[in-house]
Amino acid sequence: MAEKEPTIADAPGGAVAALVAQFAGPDELVEAASQVRDAGYRYWDTHTPYPIHGMDRAMGIRPTVLPWMVLAGGVAGAAAALLMQWWMNAVDYPYIISGKPLFSLPAFIPVTFELIVLFSALTAFVGVLALNQLPQLWHPVFQSRRFARATSDGFFLSIEARDPKFEESRAAELLQSAGAVAIDVCRMPATGREVPTGVYWGVATLAILAILPPLGVAWYRSGAKKLPRIHPILDMDAQPKYRAQAFNPLFPGGMASRPAVPGTIAQGEMDENTALYLGKLGEQWVDEFPVPVSMEAVQRGRERFNIYCAPCHGLTGEGDGMVSQRATRRAEPNWVPPLSLHAEPVRVQPVGQLYNTVTNGIRTMPPYASQISVEDRWAIVLYVKALQRSQHATLDDVPEEMREKLR
Amino acid sequence: MMRPTATLRIHDDHVTLAALGARAFPLLAGIGLAALALAAVLGAVRGDGFSYFFHSYLTNYCFVLSIALGALFFVLIQHATRAGWSVAVRRISEILAANVSVLLVLFLPVLAPVLLGSHALYEWTSPAAVAGDHLLEHKSPYLNVPFFGIRCVFYFAVWWLITRFFLRRSVQQDHSGDASLTLSMERFSGPALLLFAVTVTFAAFDWLMSLEPRWFSTIYGIYYFSGAILAGVAAIVLAAAALQASGRLTMSVTAEHYHDLGKLLFGFVIFWGYIAFSQYMLIWYANIPEETVYYLARQTNGWAGVSLALAFGHLLVPFVGLLPRSMKRRKGVLAFWCVWLLVFHWLDMYWLVMPNYSPDAGPPFGLIDVALLVGLVCLYLASAVRVAGGEALVPIKDPRLGESLALENF
Repeated sequence: MAEKEPTIADAPGGAVAALVAQFAGPDELVEAASQVRDAGYRYWDTHTPYPIHGMDRAMGIRPTVLPWMVLAGGVAGAAAALLMQWWMNAVDYPYIISGKPLFSLPAFIPVTFELIVLFSALTAFVGVLALNQLPQLWHPVFQSRRFARATSDGFFLSIEARDPKFEESRAAELLQSAGAVAIDVCRMPATGREVPTGVYWGVATLAILAILPPLGVAWYRSGAKKLPRIHPILDMDAQPKYRAQAFNPLFPGGMASRPAVPGTIAQGEMDENTALYLGKLGEQWVDEFPVPVSMEAVQRGRERFNIYCAPCHGLTGEGDGMVSQRATRRAEPNWVPPLSLHAEPVRVQPVGQLYNTVTNGIRTMPPYASQISVEDRWAIVLYVKALQRSQHATLDDVPEEMREKLR
Repeated sequence: MMRPTATLRIHDDHVTLAALGARAFPLLAGIGLAALALAAVLGAVRGDGFSYFFHSYLTNYCFVLSIALGALFFVLIQHATRAGWSVAVRRISEILAANVSVLLVLFLPVLAPVLLGSHALYEWTSPAAVAGDHLLEHKSPYLNVPFFGIRCVFYFAVWWLITRFFLRRSVQQDHSGDASLTLSMERFSGPALLLFAVTVTFAAFDWLMSLEPRWFSTIYGIYYFSGAILAGVAAIVLAAAALQASGRLTMSVTAEHYHDLGKLLFGFVIFWGYIAFSQYMLIWYANIPEETVYYLARQTNGWAGVSLALAFGHLLVPFVGLLPRSMKRRKGVLAFWCVWLLVFHWLDMYWLVMPNYSPDAGPPFGLIDVALLVGLVCLYLASAVRVAGGEALVPIKDPRLGESLALENF
């Protein structure tokens, strides 16, 4: 095939932009590529329907820098992730999570891993486009009509006129001697290369539309507005019912909420036994436990005390729990340190009063009625009494047979 | 892309073990048996009721087993993806996988004591330990001796069937050249992968995780698998390199195949790190005593050094080492990394098993470990040599062989 004189097609137009040569098959193209490489051209390329083994070598293409770019992207991702997490978690908003250190590497690995992958992938994507000078909407070789076959069954080699060595006749000669079956001369067209004005209008319209939502958000956020905020998705926010404090003309006084009938008792709140539920008989604190006193109850009380009370009061009730220590160290302005449970004013309190304190709280101590059941509150009081006894014991409290050891 | 010149290359290549197999088999079998006998004597001399022997045996057995399972996974995944590039090394992996009968015999020193009522290895086999222990009582419908034995039989039966199926079909094709055999192997590879996943997961639960019967980790099976595939691919590379050094397969296996195997190694190095860290981080974060006990034992009493050695030697160092393209394309360099990975994979098995033997006294090591490693590896290789027999070491009539021989990485 190479013996046959190739056809040279030259369409009218401006200056020569490129030569496009077609070759019979992949092997011929690889051979031609090595000849063009040896001739010292720089701006040239081959175009084939599928990748051809050995073409990189024939064209003298050096290994790509893309892997290094991806590596740099990955390292940048790792640095960005660690810096971000360090800044957010350890500096800008220090917050202890699960008792871990503020800068806790194992917890930061997943986000770091994801950002390494994200940065590497984006670098690879953008890098491939940039290194290949894509997207490129128009190229002189598109002037060649047969070039369309490069995506089905044609094997092409193009040399661009911007190459410093380019000289039309010598380049064509080279391609001919390399075995081209056809050569097209591609010229710069006089017109038709401008982007249609419609594209500019379309881009401008899209840009304006894209600005509207952030502008709307900025307007709504820039101070108080009288209108209710826009609520595109209602979910269950608006329901046909009256809320507390709402107006309803049906009822006297316009109150939508109905007061409970006097004497109503909610389920499970029938607490007639005031000694048990309030720690009181009349106006007097009870001094006897209204629940059975047993070793099991003391053990239960100790367990509950260590869970609910010890964080502030300390395991021995001295008032040296972790929360109290930290608040004192930080000089929290509203912190009232708990009294030692062994202090005189606490020790003389009747059990009913201790129970009342657990139930309703005192000073900065919150009420625990909602968290600890009645029986457990009494068990805690029982354990507190045992703790107090432990710090003010006399020799009479020690069993006979063990007294000798204490001396 | 198939090129006629490439398919012809195989006819000039030296593709059978031939006399080498006949010489190697008695040597490997002899060394293996002698080393195992030495290990048994050393184990008896210790006078600890063979406790150290059993733990070390399990370590080394799981190491050798993982090579076979990794090679099996390699075969299955090539068929499942209809891969063409790997055909030149697929027979090697088929042979490395198809040693289940010897592996079953070698498993008896672990299984027989359990069946005969020894509690040296597994605490849950002892009724006295289970009684009154709520967790062990709760697990006893699964963790009991008869069911343990049944499961072991099931695992080996599945592995025997799968490895035999793929090796026999493949060898049959060498003689008949029937392309429909390839299709039947592709069809079975999907179900075989499912069976593989189930058996490897539960085998790892039964043989390794139940060493600490109160502890649990649902990712444990994948952890063992991730090390196994590394060991399997590393063994394939080393086997190919060794065969080439002996003048075989010199034209069939090229730098392109080593490059692709190296990519798999690199990928599974990260996979192992991903799985190992996933297991670690969840347990570290939740900080629940019944879970952290596993890592506590591996961070105290001298075990922290082994754990750190794994983090660096099993993940970070080979990650950097296998990253450059040139490392994967040079046979000698890649073989170095394969040996490296096998060493650290062995350390990984050691790290899984041995803290149960000496949680307080630190990492133990002795001649007995070396003897068991040498013994089990030699017997395994002897079996592989016997399996290879006089057949070709490349599937010479595989329809995709030409594609594999013409492989080129861009």
